Amino acid sequence: MAELVKVTINGEVYEVEKGRLLIDVCREKGHAVPSFCYYADLALQASCRMCLVRIEKMPKLQTSCTVTVTDGMVVTTESEEIEKARRGMLEFLLANHPLDCPVCDRGGECELQELTFDWGNLEERFIEPKNYQPERYLSPMVANDPQRCILCKRCTRVCDEWMGEEAIEAGGRGVATIISAYGDWLNCSQCGNCIEVCPTGTLLDATYRHQARPWELVRTVSTCTFCSDGCQLALGARGEEVLRTVARDRYVNGINGEFLCVKGRFASHPFVNHEARLRTPMIRYRKGGKLVPATWDQAIEFVAQRLSAIKEEHGPQAIGIVGSPRLTNEANYTLLRFARDVIGTEHYTATDAFSLVPFFENMGAPLATHRDIRYAQTILLIGGEPEELQPLTGKQIRQAVRNGGARFILINSVPIRLKKNAAQFVHVRPGTEEAALLALADADSVEFAARKMGVETSEIEQVRRALSEAQGTVVIAFGELSPAAQKIVAQLPYIYADDRRRFLFHPLPLFNNSVGVHDMGLMSGAMTATEMLDAAGKGVRALYVAGSFLQQHLKGREEALSKLDLLVVQELFETATTEYADVVLPAASFAEVDGTFTNNAGQVQRVRQAIPPVHLSKPDWLIVASVAEAMGARFGIELSASAIFRDIAANVPAYQGLRYPLLKDESRPVQVKHEIAQRRDISGEIETLRATIAQADETAAKITETPPVGHELFKLGTLTEKLPQFHYLAAGNPKPENTLASSPLVQLTIDAALRRQRQEMALAGD
Amino acid sequence: MNPLPKEIEEEIQSFSPEVEAEIDRHIAKYPVKRSAILPIMFIVQRERGYLDAAGIAYIARRLDLTITDVWEVATFYTMINLKPVGKYHIQVCRTLSCQLLGAEKIVEHISKRLGIKPGETTPDGRFTLSWVECLGSCGTAPAMQIGFDYYENLTPERVDEILDSLKE
Repeated sequence: MAELVKVTINGEVYEVEKGRLLIDVCREKGHAVPSFCYYADLALQASCRMCLVRIEKMPKLQTSCTVTVTDGMVVTTESEEIEKARRGMLEFLLANHPLDCPVCDRGGECELQELTFDWGNLEERFIEPKNYQPERYLSPMVANDPQRCILCKRCTRVCDEWMGEEAIEAGGRGVATIISAYGDWLNCSQCGNCIEVCPTGTLLDATYRHQARPWELVRTVSTCTFCSDGCQLALGARGEEVLRTVARDRYVNGINGEFLCVKGRFASHPFVNHEARLRTPMIRYRKGGKLVPATWDQAIEFVAQRLSAIKEEHGPQAIGIVGSPRLTNEANYTLLRFARDVIGTEHYTATDAFSLVPFFENMGAPLATHRDIRYAQTILLIGGEPEELQPLTGKQIRQAVRNGGARFILINSVPIRLKKNAAQFVHVRPGTEEAALLALADADSVEFAARKMGVETSEIEQVRRALSEAQGTVVIAFGELSPAAQKIVAQLPYIYADDRRRFLFHPLPLFNNSVGVHDMGLMSGAMTATEMLDAAGKGVRALYVAGSFLQQHLKGREEALSKLDLLVVQELFETATTEYADVVLPAASFAEVDGTFTNNAGQVQRVRQAIPPVHLSKPDWLIVASVAEAMGARFGIELSASAIFRDIAANVPAYQGLRYPLLKDESRPVQVKHEIAQRRDISGEIETLRATIAQADETAAKITETPPVGHELFKLGTLTEKLPQFHYLAAGNPKPENTLASSPLVQLTIDAALRRQRQEMALAGD
Repeated sequence: MNPLPKEIEEEIQSFSPEVEAEIDRHIAKYPVKRSAILPIMFIVQRERGYLDAAGIAYIARRLDLTITDVWEVATFYTMINLKPVGKYHIQVCRTLSCQLLGAEKIVEHISKRLGIKPGETTPDGRFTLSWVECLGSCGTAPAMQIGFDYYENLTPERVDEILDSLKE
């Protein structure tokens, strides 16, 4: 435990850890200190000078955000002198700030507004004209009113330290300083974190401009529905419409703090109330015919009858059940029960990009939380591209290196942007990342693997040494790996076991509930999604799909779907899968249901209903339960998500004892207890891997080009394409002729051919 | 980093081997590459006359920075010119001592003679006139700087002499 020191604040004596920032200590102990530029875990700035306090024996007032506590420090945070100083500072901050709160989107949740209520004067003494600057757009996502800026530079620091992009900076000097970018146009990943941390109305969400006032919105804390990091966010709904998504810490305090990425922040809600949402159940009464709207009773009855008939005629194995890593645990678990208990089929799976079953079966150490990554001493990343696919993990790695001094080792065939933060970058030939694992697990293979990867043996030896000499927390993160490689990586902690270090894993699956769908057991069925499509019309006569098949599964197999006797699809939108469906059932999106997602850190987090289901849609689990009931089976779940979760807790060992009330506090997420596997014999896997790697081309050229920002983030998917601004980003985010006043969207028509081409490219790689 | 706009991409070029070597020497001086940003800005400005988009992009590429990072620094320092300046950049001090001893009059005289106001360049591109802050020459005020050369104890007549003596 750290050394304790005695600090006196306003006459009260406290024992606190030495070296902590005075502002944090004051606030923790209940002595309010105002500030703008101070932001926890960012570089210190001390430019707003609102946090002035009197420290005895120090000349002048001190900024408490830059002073660390020492023994015997005597501090005063409230006195006439301090009040005078703070009022003076605020008056300066307001010198150029227009008092246009009534038309400012931030009004009502603005830090400057609040502190002005506390520390502002009744009258302004400045009569000089304000430094007028016009409103403008910095990107399709970021609206900017430079005049409102108080130059706290939170935005430039989050851009730099969280995102590593240095896209937004302060240009000019003195009174002419302006927050902007080169060419006044942001060419970045458009995460919008600068908008979130802005304490004024300078940087604003351009997609939500002038749409609502904060006090009109009902906020619901929920979990993001894009990548596997599971960021916590607050959906702001007015009536039955979700209008915006924020992570502002006054509303939500999750694992991500105020961090969100471009998808989470801007694309989380536009699809919810989108006009293309399916409105009613639909039935295609004969093949090749049209989908005809039906009532729920008709549709459920139709599905139940057809499924029963097929089961009767071809046996239960002829029916395949497909879940989705996008759906809640509750939905997937209900599907699994439907498959096992009602249909009695072994053929169930989920449409995940890859399975993590071999990893979880052999996992020799617990999963790392995002906090663990931030404070890790060593981080090893094999494959993957977290800054595009799991942005929160990317941010945590960056901060671990920048602010925590972690040693970051990157093994990748692509020089991804995180390379900038890596202490060691092992640049391997395309597709040979797994050879590195072989070399780490088997000392005899180092030379062979190095030759195949096209790197020096010394580079591999260096990684081996780093692992065997590491002290403290070692996080092993990895992207998609073959089953053999997954088993090897899962067993690495035993190979490098030592008392001085603790190993933690951080798998990087692609979807919000990839880990959950694995935990529910859907990934352990007898067939994979592609196998099921290949068996369509042969062994498999009927498919019940919640969500849709991924492009990578469906590509070239579309015909298979038309060979089925029955295809039932639960979806939000019409997709490539619903085109062949005999029955389409409108499902409720994540904003309309209660449930849980399990993220890549094994944390099970709540999804909460923000608005009632739109149109006639229903939660996925309810649809499945209704079909089951029509087939004569009752799940006894009493039509509530929490009852299903109780069922999960009773039947899935890792979730034992969990209940919704335990998951209530998003600031303390519960990590499920995945079983830690014993040491296993991996010689077989080493042989398998060796054989695969032996086929690698030793003359293949390395990829030297760092992929551009957004090459994965800006891909248009079923959900992201519902936001017009995303098309703009996907089309390369060109700078419009006029960035003032009107949105870039209304000025520029994106060439239809270019958009189509981009879309095809995106889908091809999806 | 995102690719640069095409027209800038095409304009970036390397300098002569001697200049490139000089830049390398500056980079080698610092433990962190980006610390060399100011000396390199001066070199690029010297070579290209001013710091244009291509110059900023060149520095960004040379030091592994983003273009916005370089822009931030370039817009902060007044001695980095983001617009073209004339062959002779006349910088007249306007801080206290010079001001008291008639800097205003000097600028007025130059303005009349060259037909430009401070901040402007003559149409033939020979002269740019600027106000600058203290040149540190208070003992010999009023003072001005043309390029990197100092001229002190100025009077309108002396200014005429100086301007006449400058080569075409």
